[in-house]
Amino acid sequence: MKKMHHLQIEPGQIGEFVIMPGDPGRCHLIAEHFENPQLIAQSREYITYTGKYKGLRVSVTSTGMGCPSAAIALEELIMSGAKHLARLGTTGALQKKINLGDIIIPTSAVRLEGTSVEYIPIEFPAVADIDIVDALIKAARGKNQKSHIGIIMSHDAFYKGSVFTDPDFLKREQVWIDSNVLSVENESSALFTIGYLRKVKVGTILTVVANHLTRKVITDEEKINPIFHRMTDICLEAFKNMEKE
Amino acid sequence: MEQVQYHIRCKKDEVNKAVLLPGDIERANYIGTKFFHDSVKIVDNREFHIYNGSYENKPVAVCSTGIGCMSAAVAIEELTNIGCKYFIRVGTCGSLSSQINPGDIIIATGAVRGDGASKEYVPIEYPAVADYRTVTALRNRAKKENTDYSLGIIRTHDAFYMESPFAFGDYKKRVAIWAEAGVLAIENESSTLFVIGSLRKVQVGAILVVAGNLITGKKGTKDELQKSIDKAITIAAGALVDL
Repeated sequence: MKKMHHLQIEPGQIGEFVIMPGDPGRCHLIAEHFENPQLIAQSREYITYTGKYKGLRVSVTSTGMGCPSAAIALEELIMSGAKHLARLGTTGALQKKINLGDIIIPTSAVRLEGTSVEYIPIEFPAVADIDIVDALIKAARGKNQKSHIGIIMSHDAFYKGSVFTDPDFLKREQVWIDSNVLSVENESSALFTIGYLRKVKVGTILTVVANHLTRKVITDEEKINPIFHRMTDICLEAFKNMEKE
Repeated sequence: MEQVQYHIRCKKDEVNKAVLLPGDIERANYIGTKFFHDSVKIVDNREFHIYNGSYENKPVAVCSTGIGCMSAAVAIEELTNIGCKYFIRVGTCGSLSSQINPGDIIIATGAVRGDGASKEYVPIEYPAVADYRTVTALRNRAKKENTDYSLGIIRTHDAFYMESPFAFGDYKKRVAIWAEAGVLAIENESSTLFVIGSLRKVQVGAILVVAGNLITGKKGTKDELQKSIDKAITIAAGALVDL
Protein backbone atom coordinates (compact mmCIF):
# COMPACT_ATOMS: atom_id res chain seq x y z
CA MET A 1 0.00 0.00 0.00
CA LYS A 2 1.11 3.52 -0.75
CA LYS A 3 1.76 5.90 2.11
CA MET A 4 -0.45 8.97 2.31
CA HIS A 5 1.35 11.99 0.95
CA HIS A 6 1.28 14.10 4.13
CA LEU A 7 0.21 11.90 7.05
CA GLN A 8 2.70 9.15 6.09
CA ILE A 9 0.22 6.48 7.18
CA GLU A 10 -1.05 3.49 5.20
CA PRO A 11 -4.58 2.13 4.96
CA GLY A 12 -4.97 -0.43 7.73
CA GLN A 13 -2.70 1.40 10.14
CA ILE A 14 -5.53 3.37 11.75
CA GLY A 15 -8.86 2.54 13.36
CA GLU A 16 -12.25 3.56 11.92
CA PHE A 17 -12.60 5.90 14.92
CA VAL A 18 -10.20 8.85 15.03
CA ILE A 19 -9.69 11.78 17.40
CA MET A 20 -8.28 14.91 15.73
CA PRO A 21 -6.63 17.54 17.93
CA GLY A 22 -5.15 20.62 16.25
CA ASP A 23 -1.93 20.57 18.24
CA PRO A 24 0.51 17.69 17.54
CA GLY A 25 1.72 18.17 21.10
CA ARG A 26 -1.61 16.88 22.39
CA CYS A 27 -1.51 13.55 20.50
CA HIS A 28 0.62 11.94 23.17
CA LEU A 29 -1.73 13.08 25.94
CA ILE A 30 -4.70 11.62 24.06
CA ALA A 31 -2.87 8.36 23.24
CA GLU A 32 -2.31 7.84 26.99
CA HIS A 33 -6.00 6.85 27.08
CA PHE A 34 -5.42 4.01 24.56
CA GLU A 35 -4.44 0.46 25.44
CA ASN A 36 -1.10 -0.31 23.83
CA PRO A 37 -0.71 2.91 21.81
CA GLN A 38 1.67 2.69 18.83
CA LEU A 39 3.24 5.73 17.18
CA ILE A 40 2.40 5.19 13.50
CA ALA A 41 3.82 8.27 11.82
CA GLN A 42 5.21 11.70 12.44
CA SER A 43 5.46 14.15 9.56
CA ARG A 44 5.11 17.94 9.49
CA GLU A 45 2.27 18.87 11.92
CA TYR A 46 0.75 15.40 11.65
CA ILE A 47 1.34 12.82 14.39
CA THR A 48 -0.63 9.57 14.41
CA TYR A 49 -1.02 6.97 17.16
CA THR A 50 -3.21 3.86 17.00
CA GLY A 51 -4.36 1.77 19.95
CA LYS A 52 -7.46 0.28 21.55
CA TYR A 53 -10.18 1.58 23.84
CA LYS A 54 -12.31 -1.14 25.50
CA GLY A 55 -11.49 -3.37 22.55
CA LEU A 56 -12.30 -0.73 19.90
CA ARG A 57 -9.46 0.18 17.50
CA VAL A 58 -8.94 3.93 17.71
CA SER A 59 -6.42 6.46 16.43
CA VAL A 60 -5.40 10.02 17.08
CA THR A 61 -4.07 12.28 14.32
CA SER A 62 -3.24 15.97 14.74
CA THR A 63 -4.47 18.34 12.03
CA GLY A 64 -2.26 21.37 12.61
CA MET A 65 -3.87 24.80 12.77
CA GLY A 66 -6.41 25.93 10.22
CA CYS A 67 -8.65 24.41 7.59
CA PRO A 68 -6.00 23.89 4.86
CA SER A 69 -4.01 21.40 6.93
CA ALA A 70 -7.12 19.99 8.65
CA ALA A 71 -8.70 19.24 5.27
CA ILE A 72 -5.57 17.33 4.19
CA ALA A 73 -5.59 15.33 7.41
CA LEU A 74 -9.28 14.46 7.07
CA GLU A 75 -9.01 13.48 3.39
CA GLU A 76 -6.00 11.23 4.00
CA LEU A 77 -7.60 9.68 7.11
CA ILE A 78 -10.72 8.87 5.07
CA MET A 79 -8.56 7.36 2.30
CA SER A 80 -6.92 5.26 5.03
CA GLY A 81 -10.25 3.90 6.31
CA ALA A 82 -11.49 6.35 8.97
CA LYS A 83 -15.29 6.50 9.27
CA HIS A 84 -16.04 8.29 12.56
CA LEU A 85 -13.96 11.34 13.41
CA ALA A 86 -14.07 13.86 16.22
CA ARG A 87 -12.09 17.08 16.39
CA LEU A 88 -10.97 17.85 19.91
CA GLY A 89 -9.72 21.38 20.43
CA THR A 90 -9.84 24.82 21.97
CA THR A 91 -12.07 27.79 21.24
CA GLY A 92 -12.76 31.43 22.13
CA ALA A 93 -16.24 32.17 23.48
CA LEU A 94 -18.46 34.83 21.89
CA GLN A 95 -21.16 34.82 24.57
CA LYS A 96 -20.83 36.28 28.07
CA LYS A 97 -22.49 33.31 29.78
CA ILE A 98 -19.80 30.88 28.49
CA ASN A 99 -16.93 30.53 30.96
CA LEU A 100 -13.29 29.50 30.61
CA GLY A 101 -13.01 25.72 30.88
CA ASP A 102 -16.58 25.12 29.63
CA ILE A 103 -17.22 22.47 26.98
CA ILE A 104 -18.88 23.22 23.63
CA ILE A 105 -20.35 20.59 21.29
CA PRO A 106 -21.20 22.32 17.99
CA THR A 107 -24.12 21.32 15.80
CA SER A 108 -22.73 23.29 12.85
CA ALA A 109 -20.30 26.07 11.93
CA VAL A 110 -20.19 29.41 10.16
CA ARG A 111 -17.95 28.94 7.08
CA LEU A 112 -15.73 32.00 7.43
CA GLU A 113 -12.72 30.19 5.97
CA GLY A 114 -11.34 29.63 2.51
CA THR A 115 -10.90 25.86 2.32
CA SER A 116 -14.49 24.59 2.30
CA VAL A 117 -15.42 27.11 -0.40
CA GLU A 118 -13.12 25.26 -2.80
CA TYR A 119 -15.25 22.17 -2.17
CA ILE A 120 -18.80 23.47 -2.45
CA PRO A 121 -20.54 26.88 -2.76
CA ILE A 122 -20.88 28.92 0.41
CA GLU A 123 -24.65 28.43 0.79
CA PHE A 124 -24.04 24.76 1.72
CA PRO A 125 -24.36 24.35 5.53
CA ALA A 126 -21.38 23.05 7.54
CA VAL A 127 -23.35 20.64 9.72
CA ALA A 128 -21.78 18.19 12.17
CA ASP A 129 -22.95 14.58 11.85
CA ILE A 130 -25.96 14.30 14.14
CA ASP A 131 -25.08 10.78 15.34
CA ILE A 132 -21.67 11.98 16.56
CA VAL A 133 -23.24 15.09 18.12
CA ASP A 134 -25.79 12.90 19.93
CA ALA A 135 -23.12 10.45 21.07
CA LEU A 136 -20.87 13.25 22.38
CA ILE A 137 -23.77 14.89 24.24
CA LYS A 138 -24.76 11.57 25.82
CA ALA A 139 -21.17 10.68 26.75
CA ALA A 140 -20.66 14.13 28.32
CA ARG A 141 -23.87 13.76 30.33
CA GLY A 142 -22.77 10.29 31.40
CA LYS A 143 -19.67 11.87 32.91
CA ASN A 144 -21.68 14.68 34.55
CA GLN A 145 -20.06 17.16 32.17
CA LYS A 146 -22.29 20.07 31.17
CA SER A 147 -21.92 21.33 27.60
CA HIS A 148 -23.09 24.21 25.43
CA ILE A 149 -24.66 23.00 22.19
CA GLY A 150 -25.11 25.21 19.13
CA ILE A 151 -23.47 27.01 16.22
CA ILE A 152 -19.78 27.96 16.25
CA MET A 153 -17.69 29.98 13.77
CA SER A 154 -14.57 28.78 11.94
CA HIS A 155 -12.18 31.30 10.40
CA ASP A 156 -8.65 31.57 9.01
CA ALA A 157 -6.98 34.72 10.33
CA PHE A 158 -6.17 34.33 14.03
CA TYR A 159 -4.80 37.86 14.28
CA LYS A 160 -8.02 39.33 12.88
CA GLY A 161 -10.24 37.66 15.46
CA SER A 162 -8.74 36.76 18.81
CA VAL A 163 -8.18 38.33 22.21
CA PHE A 164 -4.62 39.14 21.09
CA THR A 165 -5.90 41.37 18.29
CA ASP A 166 -6.53 45.10 18.04
CA PRO A 167 -9.57 46.24 20.07
CA ASP A 168 -11.66 46.52 16.91
CA PHE A 169 -11.98 42.76 16.52
CA LEU A 170 -15.24 42.67 18.45
CA LYS A 171 -16.78 45.00 15.88
CA ARG A 172 -16.03 42.41 13.20
CA GLU A 173 -17.42 39.65 15.38
CA GLN A 174 -20.57 41.51 16.46
CA VAL A 175 -22.67 40.02 13.65
CA TRP A 176 -21.84 36.51 14.93
CA ILE A 177 -22.33 37.44 18.58
CA ASP A 178 -25.78 38.81 17.68
CA SER A 179 -26.55 35.61 15.73
CA ASN A 180 -26.09 33.45 18.86
CA VAL A 181 -22.81 31.92 17.64
CA LEU A 182 -21.24 30.33 20.71
CA SER A 183 -17.54 30.58 19.92
CA VAL A 184 -14.73 30.88 17.39
CA GLU A 185 -12.13 28.33 16.25
CA ASN A 186 -10.26 27.38 13.07
CA GLU A 187 -11.06 23.91 11.70
CA SER A 188 -14.60 22.60 12.19
CA SER A 189 -16.46 24.13 9.23
CA ALA A 190 -14.16 22.52 6.65
CA LEU A 191 -14.16 19.22 8.57
CA PHE A 192 -17.99 19.16 8.72
CA THR A 193 -18.34 20.08 5.04
CA ILE A 194 -15.84 17.51 3.80
CA GLY A 195 -17.28 14.88 6.16
CA TYR A 196 -20.71 15.26 4.56
CA LEU A 197 -19.30 15.21 1.01
CA ARG A 198 -17.27 12.04 1.74
CA LYS A 199 -20.11 10.38 3.68
CA VAL A 200 -18.20 9.92 6.94
CA LYS A 201 -19.32 11.06 10.39
CA VAL A 202 -17.51 14.13 11.73
CA GLY A 203 -18.15 16.02 14.96
CA THR A 204 -16.29 18.36 17.30
CA ILE A 205 -15.83 18.88 21.02
CA LEU A 206 -14.11 22.04 22.26
CA THR A 207 -12.99 23.63 25.48
CA VAL A 208 -13.12 27.36 26.03
CA VAL A 209 -9.67 28.91 26.61
CA ALA A 210 -10.66 32.54 26.02
CA ASN A 211 -13.72 34.76 26.17
CA HIS A 212 -13.69 37.54 23.58
CA LEU A 213 -16.16 39.69 25.53
CA THR A 214 -14.56 39.49 28.97
CA ARG A 215 -11.04 39.19 27.44
CA LYS A 216 -10.16 36.48 29.95
CA VAL A 217 -7.68 33.84 28.70
CA ILE A 218 -6.21 30.57 29.98
CA THR A 219 -2.60 30.31 28.86
CA ASP A 220 -1.37 27.84 31.44
CA GLU A 221 -1.14 24.42 29.71
CA GLU A 222 -1.38 22.73 33.09
CA LYS A 223 -4.90 24.12 33.47
CA ILE A 224 -5.87 23.02 29.96
CA ASN A 225 -4.49 19.47 30.08
CA PRO A 226 -6.98 18.04 32.60
CA ILE A 227 -9.83 19.30 30.40
CA PHE A 228 -8.24 17.56 27.39
CA HIS A 229 -8.11 14.34 29.38
CA ARG A 230 -11.80 14.74 30.20
CA MET A 231 -12.71 15.51 26.57
CA THR A 232 -10.71 12.48 25.41
CA ASP A 233 -12.70 10.29 27.83
CA ILE A 234 -15.95 11.75 26.45
CA CYS A 235 -14.84 11.19 22.84
CA LEU A 236 -13.77 7.60 23.39
CA GLU A 237 -16.96 6.76 25.28
CA ALA A 238 -18.99 8.35 22.45
CA PHE A 239 -17.09 6.21 19.91
CA LYS A 240 -17.70 3.09 21.97
CA ASN A 241 -21.44 3.83 22.08
CA MET A 242 -21.53 4.48 18.33
CA GLU A 243 -19.87 1.12 17.68
CA LYS A 244 -22.75 -0.59 19.53
CA GLU A 245 -25.37 1.10 17.31
CA MET B 1 -46.50 41.94 22.05
CA GLU B 2 -50.11 42.63 22.91
CA GLN B 3 -50.82 43.93 19.44
CA VAL B 4 -52.32 41.81 16.72
CA GLN B 5 -49.59 40.51 14.41
CA TYR B 6 -49.70 42.16 11.01
CA HIS B 7 -50.21 39.08 8.81
CA ILE B 8 -51.29 36.20 11.00
CA ARG B 9 -53.84 38.38 12.80
CA CYS B 10 -53.44 36.99 16.29
CA LYS B 11 -52.06 38.10 19.64
CA LYS B 12 -49.79 36.80 22.39
CA ASP B 13 -50.64 33.25 23.52
CA GLU B 14 -53.50 32.83 21.05
CA VAL B 15 -51.66 30.07 19.14
CA ASN B 16 -50.44 26.91 20.92
CA LYS B 17 -46.64 26.85 21.37
CA ALA B 18 -45.94 23.75 19.21
CA VAL B 19 -46.76 24.37 15.55
CA LEU B 20 -46.73 22.31 12.36
CA LEU B 21 -45.81 24.39 9.31
CA PRO B 22 -47.09 23.00 6.00
CA GLY B 23 -46.71 25.20 2.93
CA ASP B 24 -50.11 24.39 1.49
CA ILE B 25 -53.26 25.97 2.97
CA GLU B 26 -55.24 22.82 2.14
CA ARG B 27 -52.74 20.74 4.12
CA ALA B 28 -53.20 23.00 7.14
CA ASN B 29 -56.95 22.47 6.90
CA TYR B 30 -56.40 18.71 6.47
CA ILE B 31 -54.13 18.51 9.54
CA GLY B 32 -56.40 20.73 11.63
CA THR B 33 -59.57 18.81 10.85
CA LYS B 34 -58.31 15.20 10.38
CA PHE B 35 -55.37 14.86 12.81
CA PHE B 36 -56.10 17.24 15.69
CA HIS B 37 -58.83 16.80 18.29
CA ASP B 38 -61.04 19.66 19.48
CA SER B 39 -59.58 21.81 16.73
CA VAL B 40 -60.61 25.39 16.16
CA LYS B 41 -59.71 27.45 13.13
CA ILE B 42 -58.53 30.76 14.50
CA VAL B 43 -57.04 32.47 11.44
CA ASP B 44 -57.83 32.53 7.74
CA ASN B 45 -55.88 35.39 6.21
CA ARG B 46 -53.88 35.35 2.94
CA GLU B 47 -51.86 32.08 2.85
CA PHE B 48 -51.87 31.83 6.64
CA HIS B 49 -54.50 29.46 7.97
CA ILE B 50 -54.12 28.54 11.63
CA TYR B 51 -55.78 25.88 13.78
CA ASN B 52 -55.35 25.21 17.48
CA GLY B 53 -56.09 21.68 18.65
CA SER B 54 -54.75 18.77 20.61
CA TYR B 55 -52.72 15.71 19.64
CA GLU B 56 -52.20 12.87 22.09
CA ASN B 57 -53.88 15.17 24.62
CA LYS B 58 -51.23 17.89 24.24
CA PRO B 59 -51.94 21.39 22.82
CA VAL B 60 -50.62 21.85 19.26
CA ALA B 61 -51.27 24.12 16.30
CA VAL B 62 -50.84 24.21 12.55
CA CYS B 63 -50.15 27.24 10.36
CA SER B 64 -49.73 27.21 6.59
CA THR B 65 -46.83 29.32 5.33
CA GLY B 66 -47.56 29.58 1.63
CA ILE B 67 -44.86 28.75 -0.92
CA GLY B 68 -41.39 30.19 -0.46
CA CYS B 69 -39.13 31.64 2.20
CA MET B 70 -40.61 35.12 2.04
CA SER B 71 -44.01 34.17 3.43
CA ALA B 72 -42.54 31.36 5.59
CA ALA B 73 -40.31 33.94 7.32
CA VAL B 74 -43.33 36.15 8.02
CA ALA B 75 -45.19 33.18 9.54
CA ILE B 76 -42.40 32.01 11.86
CA GLU B 77 -41.45 35.55 12.94
CA GLU B 78 -45.00 36.45 13.89
CA LEU B 79 -45.67 33.09 15.56
CA THR B 80 -42.46 33.55 17.58
CA ASN B 81 -43.56 37.08 18.51
CA ILE B 82 -46.69 35.69 20.12
CA GLY B 83 -44.88 32.98 22.09
CA CYS B 84 -44.63 29.86 19.86
CA LYS B 85 -41.45 27.84 20.50
CA TYR B 86 -41.50 24.55 18.56
CA PHE B 87 -41.89 24.33 14.80
CA ILE B 88 -41.85 21.43 12.37
CA ARG B 89 -42.24 22.02 8.66
CA VAL B 90 -44.21 19.23 6.96
CA GLY B 91 -44.04 19.43 3.21
CA THR B 92 -43.07 17.93 -0.11
CA CYS B 93 -39.80 18.02 -2.02
CA GLY B 94 -38.06 16.82 -5.17
CA SER B 95 -35.45 14.08 -4.71
CA LEU B 96 -31.89 14.64 -5.96
CA SER B 97 -30.81 11.04 -5.34
CA SER B 98 -31.58 8.07 -7.56
CA GLN B 99 -31.85 6.08 -4.31
CA ILE B 100 -34.67 8.22 -2.87
CA ASN B 101 -38.03 7.63 -4.56
CA PRO B 102 -41.42 9.33 -4.65
CA GLY B 103 -43.25 8.58 -1.40
CA ASP B 104 -40.02 8.30 0.60
CA ILE B 105 -39.59 10.42 3.72
CA ILE B 106 -36.69 12.79 4.45
CA ILE B 107 -35.70 14.32 7.79
CA ALA B 108 -33.46 17.37 7.23
CA THR B 109 -30.39 18.07 9.37
CA GLY B 110 -29.52 21.28 7.50
CA ALA B 111 -30.28 23.19 4.31
CA VAL B 112 -28.34 24.82 1.49
CA ARG B 113 -29.24 28.52 1.62
CA GLY B 114 -30.24 28.99 -2.02
CA ASP B 115 -33.01 31.36 -0.95
CA GLY B 116 -33.03 35.13 -0.72
CA ALA B 117 -34.84 35.77 2.57
CA SER B 118 -32.25 34.25 4.94
CA LYS B 119 -29.52 36.43 3.37
CA GLU B 120 -31.29 39.52 4.67
CA TYR B 121 -30.97 38.10 8.20
CA VAL B 122 -27.35 36.97 8.45
CA PRO B 123 -24.37 36.52 6.10
CA ILE B 124 -24.36 33.47 3.84
CA GLU B 125 -21.51 31.70 5.74
CA TYR B 126 -23.92 31.08 8.65
CA PRO B 127 -25.31 27.51 8.59
CA ALA B 128 -29.01 26.75 8.12
CA VAL B 129 -29.08 23.94 10.68
CA ALA B 130 -32.14 22.13 12.02
CA ASP B 131 -32.54 22.04 15.80
CA TYR B 132 -30.85 18.79 16.89
CA ARG B 133 -33.47 18.02 19.57
CA THR B 134 -36.21 18.31 16.96
CA VAL B 135 -34.27 16.06 14.54
CA THR B 136 -33.92 13.47 17.31
CA ALA B 137 -37.63 13.71 18.19
CA LEU B 138 -38.55 13.18 14.52
CA ARG B 139 -36.20 10.18 14.21
CA ASN B 140 -37.58 8.61 17.38
CA ARG B 141 -41.17 8.96 16.15
CA ALA B 142 -40.27 7.61 12.70
CA LYS B 143 -38.78 4.56 14.41
CA LYS B 144 -41.93 4.16 16.51
CA GLU B 145 -44.00 4.26 13.30
CA ASN B 146 -41.68 1.70 11.65
CA THR B 147 -41.03 4.21 8.91
CA ASP B 148 -37.78 4.32 6.93
CA TYR B 149 -36.38 7.75 6.22
CA SER B 150 -33.32 9.44 4.74
CA LEU B 151 -31.41 11.83 6.98
CA GLY B 152 -29.24 14.68 5.70
CA ILE B 153 -28.87 18.04 4.02
CA ILE B 154 -31.52 19.39 1.66
CA ARG B 155 -31.49 22.40 -0.68
CA THR B 156 -33.87 25.32 -0.30
CA HIS B 157 -34.28 27.76 -3.19
CA ASP B 158 -36.69 30.36 -4.53
CA ALA B 159 -37.29 29.81 -8.25
CA PHE B 160 -39.45 26.70 -8.78
CA TYR B 161 -39.31 27.05 -12.56
CA MET B 162 -35.51 26.95 -12.51
CA GLU B 163 -35.14 23.71 -10.49
CA SER B 164 -38.02 21.24 -10.75
CA PRO B 165 -39.31 18.62 -13.22
CA PHE B 166 -41.39 21.45 -14.70
CA ALA B 167 -38.42 23.81 -15.06
CA PHE B 168 -37.21 25.50 -18.22
CA GLY B 169 -34.19 24.15 -20.08
CA ASP B 170 -31.63 21.81 -18.59
CA TYR B 171 -32.60 21.79 -14.91
CA LYS B 172 -30.59 18.59 -14.32
CA LYS B 173 -27.41 20.50 -15.11
CA ARG B 174 -28.37 23.23 -12.62
CA VAL B 175 -28.92 20.77 -9.78
CA ALA B 176 -25.97 18.46 -10.60
CA ILE B 177 -23.59 20.21 -8.18
CA TRP B 178 -25.99 19.56 -5.26
CA ALA B 179 -26.76 16.00 -6.29
CA GLU B 180 -23.02 15.24 -6.42
CA ALA B 181 -22.58 16.78 -2.96
CA GLY B 182 -25.06 14.29 -1.53
CA VAL B 183 -27.81 16.84 -1.01
CA LEU B 184 -30.94 14.72 -0.68
CA ALA B 185 -33.70 16.91 -2.10
CA ILE B 186 -34.93 20.37 -3.12
CA GLU B 187 -37.69 22.43 -1.53
CA ASN B 188 -38.57 26.06 -0.80
CA GLU B 189 -38.84 26.98 2.90
CA SER B 190 -36.54 25.12 5.32
CA SER B 191 -33.31 27.16 5.11
CA THR B 192 -34.97 30.39 6.19
CA LEU B 193 -37.00 28.62 8.88
CA PHE B 194 -33.79 27.03 10.27
CA VAL B 195 -31.84 30.32 10.22
CA ILE B 196 -34.61 32.27 11.94
CA GLY B 197 -34.92 29.44 14.46
CA SER B 198 -31.23 29.83 15.41
CA LEU B 199 -31.43 33.63 15.52
CA ARG B 200 -34.60 33.78 17.60
CA LYS B 201 -33.79 30.73 19.78
CA VAL B 202 -36.82 28.66 18.84
CA GLN B 203 -36.63 24.99 17.80
CA VAL B 204 -37.20 24.22 14.11
CA GLY B 205 -37.16 20.93 12.20
CA ALA B 206 -38.44 19.65 8.87
CA ILE B 207 -39.88 16.38 7.57
CA LEU B 208 -40.54 16.06 3.84
CA VAL B 209 -42.21 13.64 1.48
CA VAL B 210 -40.64 13.12 -1.93
CA ALA B 211 -43.22 14.08 -4.57
CA GLY B 212 -40.96 13.45 -7.56
CA ASN B 213 -37.39 12.58 -8.47
CA LEU B 214 -35.48 15.20 -10.47
CA ILE B 215 -32.80 12.75 -11.52
CA THR B 216 -34.85 9.71 -12.60
CA GLY B 217 -38.03 11.63 -13.51
CA LYS B 218 -40.17 9.25 -11.39
CA LYS B 219 -43.37 10.69 -9.96
CA GLY B 220 -45.60 9.25 -7.25
CA THR B 221 -49.31 8.60 -7.65
CA LYS B 222 -51.67 10.78 -5.65
CA ASP B 223 -52.69 7.88 -3.39
CA GLU B 224 -49.09 6.84 -2.68
CA LEU B 225 -48.09 10.38 -1.82
CA GLN B 226 -51.13 10.89 0.41
CA LYS B 227 -50.21 7.79 2.41
CA SER B 228 -46.67 9.12 2.95
CA ILE B 229 -47.91 12.60 3.78
CA ASP B 230 -50.22 11.10 6.44
CA LYS B 231 -47.22 9.24 7.84
CA ALA B 232 -45.08 12.41 7.87
CA ILE B 233 -47.85 14.36 9.64
CA THR B 234 -48.21 11.58 12.24
CA ILE B 235 -44.43 11.58 12.87
CA ALA B 236 -44.24 15.39 13.02
CA ALA B 237 -47.23 15.82 15.34
CA GLY B 238 -45.83 13.09 17.59
CA ALA B 239 -42.42 14.77 17.64
CA LEU B 240 -44.03 18.09 18.66
CA VAL B 241 -45.69 16.31 21.57
CA ASP B 242 -42.32 14.83 22.65
CA LEU B 243 -40.44 18.16 22.56
